[in-house]
Amino acid sequence: MDCREFCDQHLAFVDDTLAGIELVRMQRHIAECESCANHDAKIRRALLLFRNIPSIEPSRDFSNRLEARLKECQTEQLVHSQRNLRLGAFAAALASAIMLGYISTTLYSNTSAPQDLVMAPVVATIPDSEFMATSGPAIVTSVSAGLSIWPAAMFAEQVPVRFAHSQLELTNYTR
Amino acid sequence: MADIVRKHAVSVEGQTVRERLQAMDDSAVVTAFLGGEERAFSELVTRYQTRLLNFIYRTIGDREKAEDLVQEVFIRVYRHLHRFDRSKKFSTWVYTIASNLAKNELRNRSRNPLVLFQTVQKNFQDEDRPLQFEDTTSRPDDMYRKRHLREIVEESVAKLPEHHRNVFILRELEGKSYEEIAEITECNLGTVKSRLNRARNSFAEIIAPYVD
Repeated sequence: MDCREFCDQHLAFVDDTLAGIELVRMQRHIAECESCANHDAKIRRALLLFRNIPSIEPSRDFSNRLEARLKECQTEQLVHSQRNLRLGAFAAALASAIMLGYISTTLYSNTSAPQDLVMAPVVATIPDSEFMATSGPAIVTSVSAGLSIWPAAMFAEQVPVRFAHSQLELTNYTR
Repeated sequence: MADIVRKHAVSVEGQTVRERLQAMDDSAVVTAFLGGEERAFSELVTRYQTRLLNFIYRTIGDREKAEDLVQEVFIRVYRHLHRFDRSKKFSTWVYTIASNLAKNELRNRSRNPLVLFQTVQKNFQDEDRPLQFEDTTSRPDDMYRKRHLREIVEESVAKLPEHHRNVFILRELEGKSYEEIAEITECNLGTVKSRLNRARNSFAEIIAPYVD
């Protein structure tokens, strides 16, 4: 063990928290190294002095003063809790009044004479069929020409109308 | 006659409660207080007042202020005991409060450079100091030497940097473990060990010329 290692371990050495082997190594180093032995003695002597410094006691009126302050503290806490209690009671009363008001209003509106329902008259209408400018063959042309499919999808919605329309036209022609 | 008997019964009951509280550990006393036993708080005060007074006094160096701060510690404990995490040690919690108050006091003092640690200690007259610690059977020159030695020790401690002094007192005077000191001072274990090592070396260096 060198002096540096001794200094590193000295805290644990003084506090007696070193493991057995380490403790023996430290003791052996002290026996061999005068400088470290002096350092160890100096620290231990200083600590002994400090640990034996006389204790001071609280003054005579310490307990009375503390008791007085604790009573003040108790009173404060009591006042505080009473204030909280009053606030809580007030809030509860207010909430109850609001709730009662709401319930009575609801009940009153439900018990009043039922009014006739007036609804807007329903008028049946036939939706206008959109007239499609493009004829059937035009759709076929666009599809075969590689145009995008969406116009075809759009026209597909009109298919039943268009069929009905062309049927009507055919009927007219045959007449 | 009935009154006397009743009074005696109450006093016996009171005595029993006090004795029971004295036999309990801190955690049980705290539980008793929270359960409505007001006398439990007096038991806590009895257990900690002297220890806290010494700890704060050695940290700030002003006896009167130290007493005020100890009272403040107990007021805070009284107010906030219901919030104390009972899975932890009560003593660590109390010392944390005391340490923080002492730190605040030193911080406030550093803002007012007219009041210094050494000044306060010097103003603390010998007549005000408790004499009961000195052995009254000693010769006057022995008593003087002991008192002189105590002054030297106190002054040497006062010369340590605040964060070193705090750790040093907690370890050497209060006998706290490294872990407890780490919790009280809100430092990690390595910092506590390093500060303690430096504080010991510095203190030994400062006091060496007086004791050699």
